[in-house]
Amino acid sequence: MTDRKLTSTERDVLLRNGCTATDWNALKVDDGFISSRINRVYFVGEVKIGGLTGVVTSSGVEKPAGLSDATIVNCSLGRDVRVANVGVHLANYDIGDNACIEDIGTLATHSDATFANGVAVNVLNEGGGREVILFNELSAQFAHLMCLHRFQPALVERLTEIAEGYAAGQRSDRGTIGHGVTVRSVNTMENVNVGDGAAICGTARLHNGTVLSTLDAVTRVGADVQAEDFIFAEGANVADGAVLSACFVGQGCQIGRQFSAENCLFFANCEGFHGEAVSVFAGPYTVTHHKSTLLIAGLFSFYNAGSGTNQSNHMYKLGPVHEGKLERGCKTGSFSYMMWPCRVGPFSVVLGKHKRRFDTSSFPFSLIEANAQGHCAMVPGLNLTTVGTVRDGAKWPARDRRKGTIRRDRISFDVLSPFTVGRMIQGSDILSKLRKETDKSVDSVTINGATVKRVLLRTGEKFYRTGIEIYLLEKIARRVEQAVADGRSFVEAFQVAEGAVYSEEWVDISGQLMPRKRLDSLTDSVMNGSITDIDGFFNAIDRIDDNYDDDEWTWARHMYERLFECDLDDLTEDDLGAVADSLLKVKGKFLRQVSADARKEFEDMTGFGHGGVAGDVEHDFREVRGAYEENTFVTRMQQELEGLEIRISTLRATLKELSQQLS
Amino acid sequence: MASIKERIMAVTAHVLEIDSATIKPEHDFGADLGAESVQSVELVAMFEDEFGVDMDEDEALSVTTVAGAIEYITKVCQEQDVEV
Repeated sequence: MTDRKLTSTERDVLLRNGCTATDWNALKVDDGFISSRINRVYFVGEVKIGGLTGVVTSSGVEKPAGLSDATIVNCSLGRDVRVANVGVHLANYDIGDNACIEDIGTLATHSDATFANGVAVNVLNEGGGREVILFNELSAQFAHLMCLHRFQPALVERLTEIAEGYAAGQRSDRGTIGHGVTVRSVNTMENVNVGDGAAICGTARLHNGTVLSTLDAVTRVGADVQAEDFIFAEGANVADGAVLSACFVGQGCQIGRQFSAENCLFFANCEGFHGEAVSVFAGPYTVTHHKSTLLIAGLFSFYNAGSGTNQSNHMYKLGPVHEGKLERGCKTGSFSYMMWPCRVGPFSVVLGKHKRRFDTSSFPFSLIEANAQGHCAMVPGLNLTTVGTVRDGAKWPARDRRKGTIRRDRISFDVLSPFTVGRMIQGSDILSKLRKETDKSVDSVTINGATVKRVLLRTGEKFYRTGIEIYLLEKIARRVEQAVADGRSFVEAFQVAEGAVYSEEWVDISGQLMPRKRLDSLTDSVMNGSITDIDGFFNAIDRIDDNYDDDEWTWARHMYERLFECDLDDLTEDDLGAVADSLLKVKGKFLRQVSADARKEFEDMTGFGHGGVAGDVEHDFREVRGAYEENTFVTRMQQELEGLEIRISTLRATLKELSQQLS
Repeated sequence: MASIKERIMAVTAHVLEIDSATIKPEHDFGADLGAESVQSVELVAMFEDEFGVDMDEDEALSVTTVAGAIEYITKVCQEQDVEV
């Protein structure tokens, strides 16, 4: 900007156009300034105006850049900005090029604004004690450690310093509206920073917040939204009367249809419509769509809430101090209810109204149903071979709405991983021990508040054995195939990479999976001062991510050798052929079981053929639902099965050839 | 000792919480006796426990009628040398 004063001619034009100023000398303009494009504006304090030769597009209509019918106080406006119809004032903002601000009440920043950076969100425990500090670079992993690792006060203290240090840098007397931003028909925006390309239209009130946005990941805030103490991350969409207080809305999230939330964190790709959330830590892909659903004081990720889902965190004793944890991949059925505290293992389904607490964390993929008395009855491992679980595994990566280059939340999508398979091994061991110790006269056993029928102990072991074998055999088979393709020896292919880390236990840090040792190393680095800022933290979790495949193989190799009682380096081509056969058997069975589960969806034709005659039932069903054989999921399973058979057949043939060469 | 058929009827009645006298061999576990998915799994587990055998889940869950269960379990018992 050249920042020159108005010429006398320009000032005369402005005066004729109904403009006034507290001090004309405080008005600075740039080359390309066209005075005729300024009408009925009252300038207060220091105002800088860029060139006004171009146009902006507003609701699909091109309009000339310019300023009209506004009070502008201490603002700096970039090139080709349009400001029109400001009811109260536009104050203390730096506005980027090509921004369009129309039909608004107040858009102002007050002194010492922090734009929600530094706000403490009372997440997970409504009674306090797990506060997470909001700041622009907050990620699921950072928040997870700050919230959940309260048993490491030094860690929390350092993370708080990092967050508050960043937040202090955001403090300013001036707000920022980025390049190409549209703010239109908004009642009030105070102390709000807005990133490039964002569209804020029809919004009721935004107070103390940041709308992060980039031109390649545009954030939208829509009609009737009310939000205070908030940060919306790039590519988020908040619309339709949503009411938010003390919330973080992460990248790619969709919040709308009168959803209300307070003291919540929503990380990548969450969805919240119609219902309510209070003190919720929503890890990636937490989804709640229904009007009568309340999520309260819970930790969720890769989660779906059935309509009417509800929980209690309050026993009418010492306040709302109870918490619940549903690990990744869980679902709650319609009108399910849980009384916190509870903990549910990964990929489990919770049905019914539970009036007692339970902890099923050692039993992933379980069905957890409340009986008539509200007590928890569990079928361990039942959900491993359901259509729902398999479909979920495919849908999440396909629904990653994050665009742009900045992706703060690290996400591991694998359904079967050292994390879940490790839990299955743990669960299987517990079930096996109980089965051996429980007399046949006993009808059921209770494990951490969940009842399991004695006969289902063995069934659960079988389900877990299937999952464990599929995972481990697949890992071995892939290494063998890679070795064949690369012309390497199997011993080479089975080698553990230098720098890979083995831990028996893997952990889920709100979406990112890692060995326990990597987590310990990360937290140690924060506590000992090796990581001092958010960039350092991101670099550290990136390194963990980069090592995922090697760490995973290390774990898989170790577990395979332990469970199958062998040394991979000693396996012959014939042994590896047997591995391939086992994979075909167990995975083929799995795919058939999943297909059989899908078939059940085509068996009940109740209500179809309404208004027709008997023969119309099947016809109606087929027209609406299609045929089982033509269903895309079913055909995918069939193709996978056929592909598996070909793959194993090819591998077998190759191994046989190699074996013959050696002999 | 009760026959295979009687034992299967008894287990079915217990799991599905119905009167065993109402169960007929031609009855479909799902359509006629109201067995849901979870109960089908429990039925297999109970049959295994009752007869002391190990059933293949694919085969077991493809059996849909009481008569089919009698036939299948008889075969499994013979294969696994279980006296019935």
